[in-house]
Amino acid sequence: MNEVPHKWLIVSGVSRGLGLALARDLLAQGYGVAGCSTTFGEDLQALKDVHGGKFVWQAVDMADTAAIEAFVGSAVAAFDGQRLWGVVNNAGMSVEGILSTLPVSDIERVLRVNLTGAICLARSALRRMMKTRKPGRIINISSITGLRGYTGLSAYAASKAGLDGFSRALSREVGRIGITVNSVAPGYMKTALSEGLDDRQLDQIVRRTPLGRLCELADIVHLVRFLLSEDAGFITGQTLVVDGGLTS
Amino acid sequence: MTALDMIREDLRTLLHDKGAQTGEINADTPLLNGPYDIDSLDLATLVVTLEEKTGLTPFANGFVLFHTAGELAALFGG
Repeated sequence: MNEVPHKWLIVSGVSRGLGLALARDLLAQGYGVAGCSTTFGEDLQALKDVHGGKFVWQAVDMADTAAIEAFVGSAVAAFDGQRLWGVVNNAGMSVEGILSTLPVSDIERVLRVNLTGAICLARSALRRMMKTRKPGRIINISSITGLRGYTGLSAYAASKAGLDGFSRALSREVGRIGITVNSVAPGYMKTALSEGLDDRQLDQIVRRTPLGRLCELADIVHLVRFLLSEDAGFITGQTLVVDGGLTS
Repeated sequence: MTALDMIREDLRTLLHDKGAQTGEINADTPLLNGPYDIDSLDLATLVVTLEEKTGLTPFANGFVLFHTAGELAALFGG
């Protein structure tokens, strides 16, 4: 149906929310998908039932860098002979609280999962991708909180701002072989990660958004789909903000 | 096949793939700033390939300085 036969992707954090929506869409586009998350539920089983060997899954805690490397190795074996086209670093967690009272263990955990884990996943994939010396894609899902900040999300914002810097630097390293690296920064979505925002805060965000609504999963999925396409081959090192104009 | 043989083979492939000139590679051949168009990304690719072929990871605990093909080969068992 498409331009993507024999290409496969790694997507982290596929059990719910954006990651699940991305896995569904990319499988529908014809990509193979190697997904990881800490939990496996009915939604993922449904993807396996529909797509068979085009969808493989493994339990991975993104704080465990050895598990990340093992996951990539297993995925490469599962998609033997097919081309690893890229990575979507979506897995993430949030911790909230005023910094002065935020437990250090929470700070370390959010940085390890959101930043160190994402960097290590990209590293493991790149080690396989660069040997082919062919183009590819790395997409890091960051957040507008990394650009503008939000009270109570300082450690989370730091992890996401770190991802944006990572995208910019890595894009310079691997651009010569046609691998693009970009960040996608969603606005506020109604997902598990925004559970810390109450209705009053969400209403306030909507009022301040020129396009008058919260960000939806489809807004991000469509952009990621484009960035993964051959047509997006000249876009790299960018943070693409999808927030209905909230931060404009 | 020695590590130096692997380096020769992989470098020739790498240079050929990028359309660069290839030629004799011996233990004294400088890698960066040498006679061939080899950059840091090429070296990283070479190291990843050598790690896979030999099962050795000489850079696991930090970067070790090397300049020539022979010095790199020594890190991978000669």
